[in-house]
Amino acid sequence: MSALASIRDLTVTYRRDGNAVAALRNISLDIVAGERLAIIGESGSGKSTLALAIAGLLPASSAVAGRIEWSGLGRTPLLGRDIGFVFQDPSASLDPVMTIGKQIAEVARTHLGLTWSQAYAKAKTLLERVRLPDPDSALHAFPHQLSGGQKQRVAIAAAIAAGPKLLIADEATSALDTIVQAEIVALIRRLVAEDGMTLLFISHDIALAAELAERIAVFRHGQLVELGATAQIVDAPTQAYTRTLLDAHIGLDAAPLLNRAGLPA
Amino acid sequence: MSPLRRFLRTPEAVAGAILLAALIAMALIAPLLFPGDPQAIAGPALLPPFQDWSLPLGTDRLGRDVLAELFHGARTSLAVGLAAAAAALAIGAVVGTLAGFAGGLVDEVLMRITDAFQTVPSFLLALAFVSVVGPSLGIVVAAIALGTWTGPARVARAEVLSIRERDYVASARAIGMHPLEIAFREVLPNALPPVLAMSSVIVAAAILTEAALSFLGLGDPNRVTWGGMIAEGRAVLRTAPFLSIVPGIALVLTVLGVYLAGEGVVETTAVRRSLS
Amino acid sequence: MSLLAVSNLTKHYRRGGKTVIAVDDVSFHIEPGETLALAGPSGSGKSTIARLVLRLIEPDAGAIEFEDNDFLALGGAALRARRARLQTVFQDPLAAFNPRATVAHVLDDPLRIHGIASRSERPHRIAALLERVGLAADLAPRAIHEISGGQRQRVAIARAIATKPSLIVLDEAVSALDVSVRGQILDLLLDLQRQERIAYLFISHDLGVVRAVSHRVILLDAGRIAESGDARAVIDAPQSAIGKALVAAAPRLKRTTQDAS
Ligand SMILES: Nc1ncnc2c1ncn2[C@@H]1O[C@H](COP(=O)(O)OP(=O)(O)O)[C@@H](O)[C@H]1O
Ligand SMILES: Nc1ncnc2c1ncn2[C@@H]1O[C@H](COP(=O)(O)OP(=O)(O)O)[C@@H](O)[C@H]1O
Ligand SMILES: [Mg+2]
Ligand SMILES: [Mg+2]
Repeated sequence: MSALASIRDLTVTYRRDGNAVAALRNISLDIVAGERLAIIGESGSGKSTLALAIAGLLPASSAVAGRIEWSGLGRTPLLGRDIGFVFQDPSASLDPVMTIGKQIAEVARTHLGLTWSQAYAKAKTLLERVRLPDPDSALHAFPHQLSGGQKQRVAIAAAIAAGPKLLIADEATSALDTIVQAEIVALIRRLVAEDGMTLLFISHDIALAAELAERIAVFRHGQLVELGATAQIVDAPTQAYTRTLLDAHIGLDAAPLLNRAGLPA
Repeated sequence: MSPLRRFLRTPEAVAGAILLAALIAMALIAPLLFPGDPQAIAGPALLPPFQDWSLPLGTDRLGRDVLAELFHGARTSLAVGLAAAAAALAIGAVVGTLAGFAGGLVDEVLMRITDAFQTVPSFLLALAFVSVVGPSLGIVVAAIALGTWTGPARVARAEVLSIRERDYVASARAIGMHPLEIAFREVLPNALPPVLAMSSVIVAAAILTEAALSFLGLGDPNRVTWGGMIAEGRAVLRTAPFLSIVPGIALVLTVLGVYLAGEGVVETTAVRRSLS
Repeated sequence: MSLLAVSNLTKHYRRGGKTVIAVDDVSFHIEPGETLALAGPSGSGKSTIARLVLRLIEPDAGAIEFEDNDFLALGGAALRARRARLQTVFQDPLAAFNPRATVAHVLDDPLRIHGIASRSERPHRIAALLERVGLAADLAPRAIHEISGGQRQRVAIARAIATKPSLIVLDEAVSALDVSVRGQILDLLLDLQRQERIAYLFISHDLGVVRAVSHRVILLDAGRIAESGDARAVIDAPQSAIGKALVAAAPRLKRTTQDAS
């Protein structure tokens, strides 16, 4: 088990209207090469900040202390080439006035040094891999012509176009309905396995994270509460907060909250 | 950085604010500095400037004090400019809100009327209106507003059309709020910022239009106006050009000041909005 | 008689020359004090039904009876008055309030519009409403954008119950909340239902939540009713294709310690 990246004492502070907001406090964790690691926590717990810090995407208004060592990579990672990033809102990462084919081809061309025609061929293969219906015509389509789930497939194709070692998905399925979400999760699982990528899966949904990840890190108020194998986190959490999150999940087998007594037959 | 600090760091905005402050000061102190009737005879006719220090800018054809006229003219320019712009913005905001919010036939009718007003050049409209109704301060204000409300109306309508689809408007309907209350209390205040952003241009245009009307002899005859002063001076343009040049410069500086200060305000608040 | 009876409701949208049938011949009823859930994939017509029932949009065909009246026949002041009985809570409480409003202001509106309390009484009513939804009365002067998401959704519920409605439409009203807050809001809704016999039209894409809080469920697919019945019976053994797909797609937390239940 070798670490792809080692995060040590990472502290991130945002400055806003003269106040300092500590979004992450003294985070230390290893991302193991080839693993599927989930980051879970409620909104504002610092999940996205961690993802942005790892991808080198933090805004200029932030102050960073601590370090991230890329021992498994042996170089400073480059977003696009070494790290693929999928956001919650695919419209935010796709250019509305550029064809889908060109957007994916551009990533392949920039990072793999392909010619345009090679890059387009690669784009078509990628659209097939993410199971976009009719990849030939999709190459020439614009993002607004696709549904939310299809856009997210395109965003994933662009994220993995250069064959990154690490794929970060930040709430990538949260805006989708349950059925499409399950499809996208299955897609991510398959692509990560096929390409031997490491996955950092960020979600507020502990059940979804548990279905996909091998390890789960629980965040709260910018701090790492607990990190462990999925089975341990789900079955034997050591922290009360983790247990609270587990108990708050309302699954298909949950006891009804409803008292049915008062209703007329 | 606070909007005020940002405003103060923009040299054009500061220059505009100073010009505007000077104009307002002139308007405010005019009755104190020149308590008498500015249209009364104060000395010999056509006295050139800088000759007699009791009449620093000299006198006009009828022997009236040019400096006193200039100060009192600032009052008229400012009053008419602000009142006409306020009226235009108010009419425009109300018409635009009604059209955008009601939609359908109401929108169709109101926008046709807006089109009709917009196709007639606003100055001609003002001219015709004053010629028919007769010149007085209120009529001049109405005449200018009549030709300038269409711009604010279109901007307000476009803004209202997008706000209308927001959840909070649906929520107001769902609790049974009256449509007029929704339009004017819930929607209009949130549609105002882009409409108010037009005010500097409208005030500047209104001041110019007032001057032009006065120049053509259609201003309020009982008040000194810069446009009237320029027209007065025209008869003796060769022998006493300063009679037209002095109010002309005042007019240009005023319009420039209003425009620069207004743009400064819009700019600094727009930056703030895009940051938040 | 049912509290709400919807029959053969149909709504079309025109989009780029094509007609989208958002709601297609949908009929259902809700009894007093009952929770009827609408579930289905996105685009299946859930929100369109909510807006039709609330008379925020007009149907192309169909009938709506509410409290034994032809709800579609109402207009103007009569409709506005009747809205007191049929309230709603939206998904995003920030978008559902005027950005300039304060908590007191959004609660004052329904009391004033429906003449429920005089001007001098209203501050007390507002304080009582805030307390009813588990908020401190001193929250009243705060701006809506200053309070937390969970507090905002409580304010939205307070606004909805201010006029003593018999039915509240909840369109994904708990979907955007953190899980811990969501549990509290669901408890509040169920408590209100027990105390005041309020019925809910509960819209959610989350079958776990639907199963836990609803009496009956309607599964929608492409604007049509695919399946309906007792919430637990339908979700435990779905018969329709969409029901099976929705159940299969729901994330499951496999807790060995709790699997016995
Ligand atoms: N660009 C930013 N400027 C200022 N504060 C921010 C910024 N981004 C996030 N924050 C704050 O940092 C904290 C963590 O946010 P985030 O990492 O987005 O959490 P999560 O993704 O878990 O919801 C929150 O309190 C949030 O308000
Ligand atoms: N204002 C509208 N104009 C055009 N199409 C609409 C509009 N509102 C909804 N639709 C369409 O109607 C269908 C149902 O939408 P909706 O009721 O919002 O579904 P849900 O709430 O189940 O996700 C979708 O195909 C949607 O695109
Ligand atoms: Mg986030
Ligand atoms: Mg919806």
